Amino acid sequence: MANKPKIKELLDESSCAHNQTRKVACNAPTPGATTGGCAFEGAQISLFPYADAAHLVHGPMTCLGSSWETRATGTSFAGRDLTQMGFTTDININDVVFSGEEKVAASIDYIMAHYAPEAIFVYATCVTAMIGDDLDLLCNQAAERHGVPMVPVHAPGFVGSKNLGSRLGGEAALAHLIGTKEPETTTAFDINLIGEYNVTGDMWQYTPLLEELGIRVLATLSGDGRVAQIRTAHRARLNVLVCAKSLVSLTRKLEERYGIPSIALSFYGKRDTSKGLLAIAEALGDAGLIERTRALITREEAKLSEKLKPYQAFFKSKKAVLNTGGNKTWSIAAALQDLGIEVVGTAVKKATEDDRAKARETLGDKGVLMMNPGVEQAKIIDETGADLLLAGGRSLYTAIKKGIAFADVNQEKKKSYGGYAGLLNLAEDLKNALQNPVFKNVARRAPWEK
Amino acid sequence: MGKVMHKRSKPLQVNPFKLSQPMGATLAFLGVDGCMPLMHGGQGCTSFTKVFFTRHFCEPIAIQTSAVTDAIAVLDGGDYSIVESVKNITKKVAPSLIGLHTTGLPETKGDDVRGVAAQIEYPLVYVNTPDYEGGFESGWALTCTALIEQLTEPAESIDDNKLVLLPHVSLTPIEVEKIKEFIEGFGFNVLALPDLSTSLDGHLGEKQAALSSGGITVEEIRTFADAGLVISVGDSMQSCATALQKKNPEMRHQHFSHLQGLEATDALAELLLTETGFSGPPLTVARWRQRLQDAMLDSHFSLGQSRFLVAAEPDQLAGLCQALYDAGGKVTVAISTVDSPQLEKIKADQVLVGDLEDAEQLADNYDVIVSNCHCEALAHRLHKGLVLRGFPNWEQVGNPLKNDLLYEGGAYFLFESANAATVMRDAGRGTRTPENHCF
Ligand code: SF4
Repeated sequence: MANKPKIKELLDESSCAHNQTRKVACNAPTPGATTGGCAFEGAQISLFPYADAAHLVHGPMTCLGSSWETRATGTSFAGRDLTQMGFTTDININDVVFSGEEKVAASIDYIMAHYAPEAIFVYATCVTAMIGDDLDLLCNQAAERHGVPMVPVHAPGFVGSKNLGSRLGGEAALAHLIGTKEPETTTAFDINLIGEYNVTGDMWQYTPLLEELGIRVLATLSGDGRVAQIRTAHRARLNVLVCAKSLVSLTRKLEERYGIPSIALSFYGKRDTSKGLLAIAEALGDAGLIERTRALITREEAKLSEKLKPYQAFFKSKKAVLNTGGNKTWSIAAALQDLGIEVVGTAVKKATEDDRAKARETLGDKGVLMMNPGVEQAKIIDETGADLLLAGGRSLYTAIKKGIAFADVNQEKKKSYGGYAGLLNLAEDLKNALQNPVFKNVARRAPWEK
Repeated sequence: MGKVMHKRSKPLQVNPFKLSQPMGATLAFLGVDGCMPLMHGGQGCTSFTKVFFTRHFCEPIAIQTSAVTDAIAVLDGGDYSIVESVKNITKKVAPSLIGLHTTGLPETKGDDVRGVAAQIEYPLVYVNTPDYEGGFESGWALTCTALIEQLTEPAESIDDNKLVLLPHVSLTPIEVEKIKEFIEGFGFNVLALPDLSTSLDGHLGEKQAALSSGGITVEEIRTFADAGLVISVGDSMQSCATALQKKNPEMRHQHFSHLQGLEATDALAELLLTETGFSGPPLTVARWRQRLQDAMLDSHFSLGQSRFLVAAEPDQLAGLCQALYDAGGKVTVAISTVDSPQLEKIKADQVLVGDLEDAEQLADNYDVIVSNCHCEALAHRLHKGLVLRGFPNWEQVGNPLKNDLLYEGGAYFLFESANAATVMRDAGRGTRTPENHCF
């Protein structure tokens, strides 16, 4: 039990902007009025992309049965992508009464015999944490038996939200993997990418640019990640925290323990991508690198604006209303502006104060920050003559009634919108939405309704 | 019939396609009009379930969680989280019913859900569905039983025109509608429990998804017990029929293991003819029977040279295997999520309770897969034909309107399967040679 991270401590994490205003609220979901995933899901998100590791979920069927193969996290791993496989002990009543520990040990042996992964992450879930199955002991014993790392992940759903779970996932990597192996070589420009999961290949939109600049990605947590790499992560010169506040505590600990400084940034949209690349170069502090980065940014932006020209002509004087949550409230808004679309309103109901400030900054004085988007969005569409509503599926009917185009922001992405090139994907999808006559056509009244 | 293995043979599930009992319960409650399913457990179970069904049906899904946390778990016997949940839900919306169903966590700590439910003034039905027991089918069936036991008022008289249909969990919304229509064609007034055909059928309308929109009404469930006949479809639904009969011993019950293929549909038609004394079915029914006969002949050439893996929930598995078998498809491997009395009846060389790793290990035995979208990677890697059926199907749109049932759906299913097998063979040969022998 000594290995278990201190949840209280993680919740109090000073660098969590979310927490400054709502001291305890981060952790207390309201019964009957809660949305969002559990800590187990968060841990799964932060660790699953290690494609050469197996991920064994110790619990009953809901935890994994409903959730495996749901995230399109790309990997370049040449072997079988274990991220897209599901392993679970699927415990039954017997295990609940008499303990499921035997099953865990047998499952680990089975996985090693059939798939020989580089490591196994073993996840506790609500029921198995409740009955007290000792994953630490089981993992220790199994690691000895098999000679590869066995990582217990203590993020059962009932300890809190997805966000907390991601932190607990990071803690597990820190406690059991990071610093357990030395890299073969090191360079002055070695970085770790933290909180980048390479969903739909987001990371590959910018890693070729890093490579061109001579910046080496030593390890990731955990997009396109490998177990062997994360074990060497303590030798990086810089931690780059990508779009994931949940892992600030991890980067802070890496700084304390190994003296690795960190920066936080995002690669969504043109402006952020350029800013991000430059920030990395500056943080690495090499004048030549900074100069090369500036040149690369100029080149890439020129290339992009050439390709965006036809789209910008198309998007000229088009207006959009955005109804989403979290950092999307401003990051998507900024990307839309990069395309030449005017964002007349964005929902901030489900955003932190930090995100609200950023949203205001992005939209300027004229843009509306909607506190009650369900009611407000229809009004804003009427008042501004907006052409496009970007929102979750529930708002589709609003768009149909107003006869304007709709794009589902929550839909599982199939292609990346990240980096410079991703902006072109976004442009293409939005152009298709705006050109599609379907929204007007389905709004036709039935003959018997006339 | 071949050998049957009722138990999985290893300590874990690898690439599971089994779904949990509470998820079946959620879906059943979504077939009740104006219902708010309330899952009692950690918030993650609910969140996963919501995303799972939203993606499968391409529809917003109504569900809430009691959001049990470790702090509450230790102190609370369920009262706090459930009572608070009901309070918070009814602050925002006014459901006609709250559908309380449990998960493994509260069951492990021994919450007295029944006791708590008794204290709550709001209309509420509770059901114990720990996810360390049973599966998708049993969660759905237990919920139907709970709805009947807790809502339906006992009756003594009988309305011979009224018929209650109890469909198993794997029937799609359109399939439920087709069965209703088929029976209504004989003059019955049909009520289905649950009824996804009017709630998750994917219809455009002003629905905020705050509550389920469409489905059977609470009032209809209350007054079920004067129905002259109850028809259950799928072996998992037998016990629900029994529960309903307890409300009125006069009520008669007919059971169908499934409604796929010529023989099963004939049996339903025959029953309805006997019940009504009609000399023949509606014209379209007779016409569709002829079309199915023709479809069987048109597809037999492709099916007859194809070996199938079918992996599904037991009640659906039984129907799919029978339909393929009738037209000459060789089901070499049938994999079920859980054990069921259906397994002994299934027409396949090999029937087992297992997972998709088993499917992969037996890959030499089949050419075409009939299963859910978790099989897509497998089909792709091993170059197998694929017919997507069951939960989840995140790869395709239109799931609520897929119809494999009765004469009509039976024809569609055979065509789709035969065509998938042909495409697969052509791809294997690298040439396109006509192999259709149409009659
Ligand atoms: S809340 Fe608990 S039981 Fe539910 S999915 Fe999360 S870990 Fe599993």
